Amino acid sequence: MAATFTVLYFASAHTYTGKSEDAVPGPMAVSKLFPYLEEKYPGFRKKVLSSCALSVNLEYVDLTEDADKEIQNGDEVGIIPPVSSG
Amino acid sequence: MERPFTGIKSLETPSTYAALTYDPLDISAAINRVRSPKAGAIVTFIGTTRDNFQGKQITTLEYTSYPPLSLQTLSKILTSLSTPSLHSISVIHRLGIVPIGEDSIVISLSTPHRAEAWQIAQECLELVKEKVEIWKREWFADGGIWRANRDGAEGVQETEDVPVEFLEQEDR
Repeated sequence: MAATFTVLYFASAHTYTGKSEDAVPGPMAVSKLFPYLEEKYPGFRKKVLSSCALSVNLEYVDLTEDADKEIQNGDEVGIIPPVSSG
Repeated sequence: MERPFTGIKSLETPSTYAALTYDPLDISAAINRVRSPKAGAIVTFIGTTRDNFQGKQITTLEYTSYPPLSLQTLSKILTSLSTPSLHSISVIHRLGIVPIGEDSIVISLSTPHRAEAWQIAQECLELVKEKVEIWKREWFADGGIWRANRDGAEGVQETEDVPVEFLEQEDR
C-alpha cells in the first residue's frame, strides 16, 4: 500500500486548493493535519479550515479530543466545510 | 462540473429511503414510495431553487456532496425520526447544477394520521439542513459563493474574523 492517506476537499476547500484530493504521507496525528495543509496552501487555515470539521473513514473526529489519534496510510480523510443543503 | 455517479445513489432500510441524484427529481415516485394502505396521511415538502439571495440576483446554483458520507448522515437522520407513528420516509436531494425554480430536495413521509406527519416533516428538514454533507454554491454576476446554512455546526469552530462563506476569488 502506498505510504499515504487521501484528503478530500469539498466546497470552499475544493475552491481554495483547486483540487478534489491530495495524497498525504502518513501516518499523521490529527493535530498535525491542518498545519501541514496550511504549509501546502498558505492562508488555507484561516480562510477555510478554521470553520471545517474532519472525517476519517466516514466518521467525524473531534479536533481537540482526537488530536492524538493517528491517521493511517490508506485512510480517507474528508475536509467538511459548513453544510448548505436544502 | 464533477459528476461522480449517474442515476440514483441510495441507502435504504425497510422504512427509510435516503437518495442523491444529478437528475431532475421525480416527485410522484417519491410520494408513491411512502404510500401505503396502513398510512392515512402523506406529507411532502419540495425545496426549489430561488433566483436571489437577499435580493441579489443568482445566475446559477450548484450542489456538491460527499456521497458516501452524505447518504450515511441522511440515513441516520431518517432512522432517528423513526417512531411507531412513522410508516415510511424518503428524502431525495438533487446535485449538480439545478436550474432556477427547479426542485432541489423532496421529503415525503407517511403516517397513520396527519398531525405527526407535519411535525416529522418539519423536524426532518431542519436536521437535513443542519447536518447532511451537501454544499450549495450560488453564482452571481460578480462571482460565486459557498453558502452555509448555519454557523457552529458539529465540529466547526467559529471565529470572528473568518466568514463561514468563502468568497470565490476567480472569475468564471
